[in-house]
Amino acid sequence: MRGLVYTFMFSSLLFAKVGEKDMDPCSDPLIRLAQKKGVKAVPLKDILKFKKLMKECEENGGKEKIKQLHLRDWNRDYKKARRMAGWTSTHAMCVFVSFGYYFIGKIYATKP
Amino acid sequence: MKSQIYVFILSLLLFAWDRAYSQPKISVDMGFGFYEPTLSGFDDNLSIQFPTKGFLNRNLLLNWGISYEFFNNARIGYNSLLSYEIGNNLEIVNSNAVFRRSIRYRMFPIETYFRWKPRIELNFTLTPIWGRGRIEMDTTPGDKTEDWNDLINSFGGDQDPITDMGATDVMISDWIGYGSKLGVRYYVNSRLAIDVKGGFMNNFYNNDNWRIQRQKVTGPKMKITDLPVFSLKIVYGIK
Repeated sequence: MRGLVYTFMFSSLLFAKVGEKDMDPCSDPLIRLAQKKGVKAVPLKDILKFKKLMKECEENGGKEKIKQLHLRDWNRDYKKARRMAGWTSTHAMCVFVSFGYYFIGKIYATKP
Repeated sequence: MKSQIYVFILSLLLFAWDRAYSQPKISVDMGFGFYEPTLSGFDDNLSIQFPTKGFLNRNLLLNWGISYEFFNNARIGYNSLLSYEIGNNLEIVNSNAVFRRSIRYRMFPIETYFRWKPRIELNFTLTPIWGRGRIEMDTTPGDKTEDWNDLINSFGGDQDPITDMGATDVMISDWIGYGSKLGVRYYVNSRLAIDVKGGFMNNFYNNDNWRIQRQKVTGPKMKITDLPVFSLKIVYGIK
């Protein structure tokens, strides 16, 4: 009976080890989420795990994959924000005019 | 008419779908602000010797804020700029008082932006300001020791054990104002950025609008309107 228990315990340890080795860090759901929706979509509580996964993925030959993940993230943010949408350009123009008016006034206005 | 209703419902659904899938971007920021007010009520005061003015208690502002991207290229949020001063042993008639003074500019900015380069963002901020001045002082009021000794004596034990006591009272003033800023943000990575802003603020401060214990009093003269203001902060995107 004792032998059976030991066998079971050791086999479970062995299987766990095999399972861990088999898991590819590059195909982890967190990495896939970052690829699909961007790095900012990764929840803050998982950020350390995500960094560890990226490192492991790079070590396992996924260097290009991680590089692409970052590149895609930069491009996604850049494409989304490089042009002002809707009313935002009017707002920006109001700020710019008030800013210019104030500082030009500071330089050129004379006190009575 | 019926088809128009369907189109309306369909467009609402599409809008909701888009909202559900877009990333809400919440970010927090911390840093410093710099400005140059003229606090003549403190600096030119001949009756009381307030702490000597310096860079830390006049020009430096502690800055923190939180913002939410509610529209493409637009954020809304809360930003607090705090000027603080503390002085020990301020000599007044009956006490050597501890004095604390704070001026807090609470801003509710609407900020629009665009990315000039993948890592560089230019931003434009308009903000209403709710300002609050606060003067707090620990003093030694006359009858307080006797009153407390009376109470403590009634419980028994040593007679008149209290020899010295203090009390803290606060005078407060609120005002409104507005500000405008232009800024540049450099993204170190997709979450972390350094933000530099410059602009101005106008505050409608009136030194007759202070209050202490619900009584209206006159406060210090301060020129805090028509001021250039600059800020440097670190921004971190939470989501």
